[in-house]
Amino acid sequence: MSWYNKRLAKSIWVYHMSASPCNNCDIEILDLLTPKYDVERFGIKLVGSVRHADVILLSGVINQKVAPQVKKIYEQAAKPCFVVGVGTCPSSGCCFKDSYNTVGKREEVIPIDMYIPGCPPKPEAMIDGIVKLVGVLNG
Amino acid sequence: MDNYTEFLSLMGDKIVSLVQKEKRIYFEVDNQNIIEIAQHLFNKLGCRLSTATATETYRGIEVLYHFSHDKSGNYFCPRVVMTDKNNPKMNSITPIVRGAEWIEREMSEMLGITFEGHPRPEPLLTGNHPQNIKVPLRKWRSNG
Amino acid sequence: MDKNVIPVGPYHPLLEEAEYFTLQVDGETVVDIDLEIGWMHRGHEFMSESKTFTQSLYLVERICGICSTSHPIAAVHAMEDVDNIEIPLRARYIRTLVGELERIHSHLLWLGLAGHFIGYDTLWMWAWKYREPVLQMFEIISGNRNHYGMMRIGGVARDVDPSKISKLMDIMDEIEKKIEMIAKAANDDPVLKSRLKGVGVLTKKDAIDFCAVGPTARASGVPIDVRKDEPRDAYDLVDFNIIVTENGDVFDKTVVRLLEIFESIKICKQCLEKLKTVNGGIRNNVKEISAGEGIGRYEAPRGEVFHYVRTDGTNRPVRHKVRAPSYVNIPTFKASCKGIPLADALITLAAVDPCYCCTERSIKIIDKNNESRKIDLLKLSREKTEQIRREMK
Ligand code: SF4
Repeated sequence: MSWYNKRLAKSIWVYHMSASPCNNCDIEILDLLTPKYDVERFGIKLVGSVRHADVILLSGVINQKVAPQVKKIYEQAAKPCFVVGVGTCPSSGCCFKDSYNTVGKREEVIPIDMYIPGCPPKPEAMIDGIVKLVGVLNG
Repeated sequence: MDNYTEFLSLMGDKIVSLVQKEKRIYFEVDNQNIIEIAQHLFNKLGCRLSTATATETYRGIEVLYHFSHDKSGNYFCPRVVMTDKNNPKMNSITPIVRGAEWIEREMSEMLGITFEGHPRPEPLLTGNHPQNIKVPLRKWRSNG
Repeated sequence: MDKNVIPVGPYHPLLEEAEYFTLQVDGETVVDIDLEIGWMHRGHEFMSESKTFTQSLYLVERICGICSTSHPIAAVHAMEDVDNIEIPLRARYIRTLVGELERIHSHLLWLGLAGHFIGYDTLWMWAWKYREPVLQMFEIISGNRNHYGMMRIGGVARDVDPSKISKLMDIMDEIEKKIEMIAKAANDDPVLKSRLKGVGVLTKKDAIDFCAVGPTARASGVPIDVRKDEPRDAYDLVDFNIIVTENGDVFDKTVVRLLEIFESIKICKQCLEKLKTVNGGIRNNVKEISAGEGIGRYEAPRGEVFHYVRTDGTNRPVRHKVRAPSYVNIPTFKASCKGIPLADALITLAAVDPCYCCTERSIKIIDKNNESRKIDLLKLSREKTEQIRREMK
C-alpha cells in the first residue's frame, strides 16, 4: 500500500465529521482554511462528502444517538481512509465521559488512527498533527 | 416591586405558598390554576417564557416555569407539584404559549410527565434513538 | 396538493444539538418544516449535579464553543443569586470585557458564514481574518483562544495585566477600522441587499409567541436585551445602545448584528479604559452557598442564556437547568420558513445563527415515487445570488 499512501500524502482531502462536540473544535478546523492559517497551501482541502475524503477529522465524544450514523459514514468512505481525532473529546472523553448518553468505547464505533489533544487544540497543533500524518504516509 | 404586589393582589387566592426575593418570586399553584396563571402572565402582563425546569424531589415531581417580565427584569416562577411519582400528570400551557412546546416535550421524556392538552406529545431528544428508549430517561439512567 | 418531503441531515452539527430537518415542499416553496434534535445530547444537566460548583463552571463552558463565556457567566450569576453575593468592581469590568469580546468574535463568525452560504466567500475570508485579532486578545487575557476559564463564583479567575492594556487598546482600534470597512462593503452591495431583503420574515407577533430572544427578536422589533433589562456586572456602568429594527427579515438580522459589533467595541473600550484606573481584588472568597434557588441570565451573542440552580447547602447543585438561546430561536423556523422558496431556506435557517457549520450538506429530495435526486442547498442558494447579480448588470 505504501505507493498509494505516498500519493495520498501529496494532497490530503479531509472530511470533517462532528459527533456531538461542543463546536469549538469545529470552528478551529474551519479556522484552518481562513487566511491566517490557510492549510490549502499544503494541498489540504475540506470536502463535503466522505466519499472523496482521504482523512476524516472527527471531533466530539460520540453520543449514542449519533453513533450508528458515524459508523455508517465511516463505512461509506473509500479505504484507505485515516481517522484523526481532534480534541480531548475523542481522545479521552473530556468532561463528558460520565454522561449516560455517550458511548463507552469510541474505538468500537470508528477506528481512530491518530489523536490531537487539546481543548480545543490550537490550529498550529492541528497543522502539526496533519504534517506528522503526512510524514507517516510518506514512510 | 410594584408589579409583584399587583400580581399578588389579583392572583393571591390561587397561590399556595410563596418565596419572594429581590426581582424573583417563586410560588406554588395548583394544577388546575396553572393555565389561568400562565394566561395572566403571558397575555396580560406581557411576560416571556424563559423556560421550565422539572425536578424530582422527595415530595414528588415538580415543574417550575420561569416567566420573565422584560421591562422590569422581574421573574415570575409558578411551580406545580405532582405527588404521584409513578404517573405524573399536569395541564400543558403550550396552547397559550407556543414557545413552551419544546421544553414540555423534553420534560416529558426526561421525567415521564404527561402534559394534558399538548398538541404534539412526542419525544424531542430521543426520537429515533437507536436503543429505542420507552421509559423516561430518569428511570433509564438508573437501570443502566 | 403534491407535497414532497426533503430530509436534511441528520448529520448536522448545530450548537448543542445536531438536527434533522424535514422540509415539506410544494414545487419550489417550503410549506412546512419539522425538526428532530438530540444528536448532540450529552446530558450536561445530569452531569452538573454530580460536580461541585466550580467544576460545573468548566462543564457548562463546554456546552458550546462559541458562547463559551456566556454559559459560565450565566451560571455564576445563578449561583450568586442564591445568596446575593457581591463581586469586586474590577471583576465586574473584566467579566463585561470578556463577554463583549466574545460577542464581537461570534458576530463576525456568523457574518462570514452567512456570506459563505450565499456565495460570498470573500466576505467569509475577510470576516474570519479580522476575527483573528479578537482571538489574539483572548489569548493575551486568558491564555487560550477559546474556552477561557475566566469565571469564578464571586469574581473572575485571572486579572488583566495592566501592562497589556495599551496593546489591547491598539488591537481594538485596528479591529474597529477593519470592521467598519466590512460593514460599508456589505451595506453598499446592491446584490446582497436584494438577496436578503424581505427573505424569511419573522413577524413581531410570531417572535413574541415563540418567545424568541436575542438578535432574532430584536430584528423583529421586540426590544429585549438582558444587558439592559437586568444589568449585572458592569453593564449599568457603561454606556451603550441596544439595536432594534422592525422588519424581521434576514437583512435586518444582519444589520442588527453588524451594529451590535460596534456597540460591543464601544463597551470594550470603556472597560479597558476603566481597568487602567480601577484597582482592587478580583475575587471575593465564597466559602459556601446556602440552600435556595437562583436564576442567572446573560445576553449571549445569540440571545438570553438562562441558568437555574437549586442548592441544598452542600457543595453541589441539586438541580442545574440550562437553556441556550437557540433552544427557543430554532422553533421560529416554523414561522419564518413558511412560503419561502427553497433557495432561500438555507439563509433563513442560518439567520438565527443556530450555528454555522450546519447547513452545508447535500440533501435528497424524495418524491412520490420514491425516486431520489440529489440536491444541494448550498449550491441552490449560491445560484440564486449569481442570478440576481447577472440581472443587475
Ligand atoms: S475537545 Fe474541548 S473544544 Fe473540542 S469539542 Fe471537545 S469539549 Fe469542545
